[in-house]
Amino acid sequence: MSIFTEKDGITRRQFFKGAGMLAFTAVVAGVFAKVGVDVFAASDDYIQKRAEGLYTLDEQMAIRKSHENPEILQIYKDFLSPGEIKPVSEKAHHLLHTRYGKDIPGLIEELATHHDAA
Amino acid sequence: MSTVSTTGIITVSNECKACDHCTFICPTGAISGKLGEKHHIELKKCINCGQCLINCPFGAIEDYSMVNEVKAALADPKKFVVVQEAPAVRVALGEEFGLAPGTNVKNKMYAALRKLGFDKVYDTEFTADLTIMEEGTELIHRVFNALGVEGFENSGPLPQFTSCCPAWIKYAEDKYPHVLPHISSAKSPQQMFGPVAKTYLPEKLNINPADITVVSVMPCTAKKYECDRPEFMSSGFKDVDYVVTTRELAQMIKDAGIDFLNLSDEKADKLIGLSTGAATIFGATGGVMEAALRTAYELLSGQTLDKVDFKAVRGLAPVREATVEIPVKALGKALPVNVCIVTGLKHVDTVIEDVLAGRSNYHFIEVMNCPGGCINGGGQPIRRDTY
Amino acid sequence: MSEISGKVLKHDTQTRSMHWVHLIGFLILALTGIAFYWDLIGISNIFGGPANASLVHRWAGVIFTAGPTIYILLNFERFAKFIDTISHFTKDDFAWLKTMGGYIPFIKVDKAPPQDKYNAGQKILGGLIIVGCLLVILTGFPMWLWRHTLPAAFLAMCYNIHFWTAIIMILLICGHFFLAAIHPKSRIEFASMMLDGYVDAEITSHHNEKWFNALQKVE
Repeated sequence: MSIFTEKDGITRRQFFKGAGMLAFTAVVAGVFAKVGVDVFAASDDYIQKRAEGLYTLDEQMAIRKSHENPEILQIYKDFLSPGEIKPVSEKAHHLLHTRYGKDIPGLIEELATHHDAA
Repeated sequence: MSTVSTTGIITVSNECKACDHCTFICPTGAISGKLGEKHHIELKKCINCGQCLINCPFGAIEDYSMVNEVKAALADPKKFVVVQEAPAVRVALGEEFGLAPGTNVKNKMYAALRKLGFDKVYDTEFTADLTIMEEGTELIHRVFNALGVEGFENSGPLPQFTSCCPAWIKYAEDKYPHVLPHISSAKSPQQMFGPVAKTYLPEKLNINPADITVVSVMPCTAKKYECDRPEFMSSGFKDVDYVVTTRELAQMIKDAGIDFLNLSDEKADKLIGLSTGAATIFGATGGVMEAALRTAYELLSGQTLDKVDFKAVRGLAPVREATVEIPVKALGKALPVNVCIVTGLKHVDTVIEDVLAGRSNYHFIEVMNCPGGCINGGGQPIRRDTY
Repeated sequence: MSEISGKVLKHDTQTRSMHWVHLIGFLILALTGIAFYWDLIGISNIFGGPANASLVHRWAGVIFTAGPTIYILLNFERFAKFIDTISHFTKDDFAWLKTMGGYIPFIKVDKAPPQDKYNAGQKILGGLIIVGCLLVILTGFPMWLWRHTLPAAFLAMCYNIHFWTAIIMILLICGHFFLAAIHPKSRIEFASMMLDGYVDAEITSHHNEKWFNALQKVE
């Protein structure tokens, strides 16, 4: 019985096509890596842009310091510390301050008795 | 309320593709699950920051919604519904309507909120200014106490941590109870707005505080958890009733058929709606610090700042530090104030351990959970920028 | 047709081994992959639950990648010849495609145009499998190794490409399996890839006429 096999050896065209395929693979991998790097680099750009948006808005504001806000001055004078501007007044402490962790149950109890009395 | 305490604000839906991206995003390691199996958020460890939500490649993580309650309140004629919006919302809301990130839509936002039916449109920036007044004063007291000035013996220890970020607060309560005395006792701007709206407004506008519903629009999912904390009832009612995120507000605007981009510019209502630039920058990391420095400098020195920008505290690096010389009139000498800004809770542990071990020479430390600050909060529009 | 007797060695031992490795790898990958995407716990449980199925999927992926890579490095000549054959389209190939080589029941073909070692359909399959493998491999490893650091947008893109490429590949392999193992006209070559590597010379002489004419005879 006769056996047929392929002849050994490789033509120039075959060699270049094989090598070309490997080069193509490398290029595809490279492009893919480039896309990955670009996406990675750009993925946080929006944070920067939003921050810039806030800082630009800050520069456009007529008043740029908290203690110059007329409504803040008014709420202290009229309500939180009547007649003067005194942060951490008793009323401010009651309304605007809190406690954390294991002190919370005590705070809740205090608030409850405060409201019952009122 | 019960929903929040039993299931938490942030939940993984059945759409989870088990890609395991979120376990690294989560600052507290609350997400369990190996690559390939559906992930699960451990309620006890979760600080509700929503970073996993905005970073999920499949949009498979959801937050607890209060939109229906807000709509019901708006439809109820007896309710006097007031709304506050956080600084970070105004530079991101436009993205949901096709605008570039960072576009300021503050005035259109006020107009849209009025169209949605809110009785009064105020601004969280007002209470951000109030926070600076309270928190800044508290800081000054702590510094004076540390310097041995008489009359400030009841102040807490230095350094002082900021208290604006509810995710950070829960993290500190869960993991570092010893650092709690260092955290400013001032409430966050959102929680200051609630009692102010339910005590100051009724006095001025002559309405029944029981009829007031306070809604806040936040870039944050942890704010939903914060508003449900039981201790926030100093007005005698639940201080802040409902929280919606930037995304949910955009959806409400779309649902109502409002042509957002063509709205005319409007202003916030008077009384508790006026804001300053210092409050605006609260939304970015380092902003609370810069706002506090502007006020502390002027109040302590009695001088007017000719340049209000403190560029040293800006940036997006996770941990930044700066020293500001403040000539303190009461002491008659300049005081170098060392400040530190942390953005991203993964980076806070070393700072806290230094503080607890007494190695820290900072006076004031700002901590924000989300990388970049509230502008990148868990309630913000989800971006998939590829280039 | 002249009388041709004897056997043709179509695929050597290494080629057949690589094909087996790739086949088994592919089956495991396809099964576990389908289980993940549609949440088929029944399939995942065969591999010991979703987390373990994922582990199996990843390491099968390593084998799926390493198999052909090692083969190409050891047999560059054979690989180059394969690429040359599948990328070389002549009039005969297009004529073959028009009638689908007579494999479709309702197209009657008296004599299909002469073909190379691979007929036009196999050439296209070869090209698609190469591109498909490249895509699933390139998207698969980032999903595993850099899942924590890559941005969500990129990960989502990887998952989408991975999924759609895999679906197309599974369909292609189903067709390939049908023609290679079930269709009576072509399953006669089954042994050449799956077993000893030989085909009857007579079959080759009219299935792969052009190639057969270029072969050498060894006793």
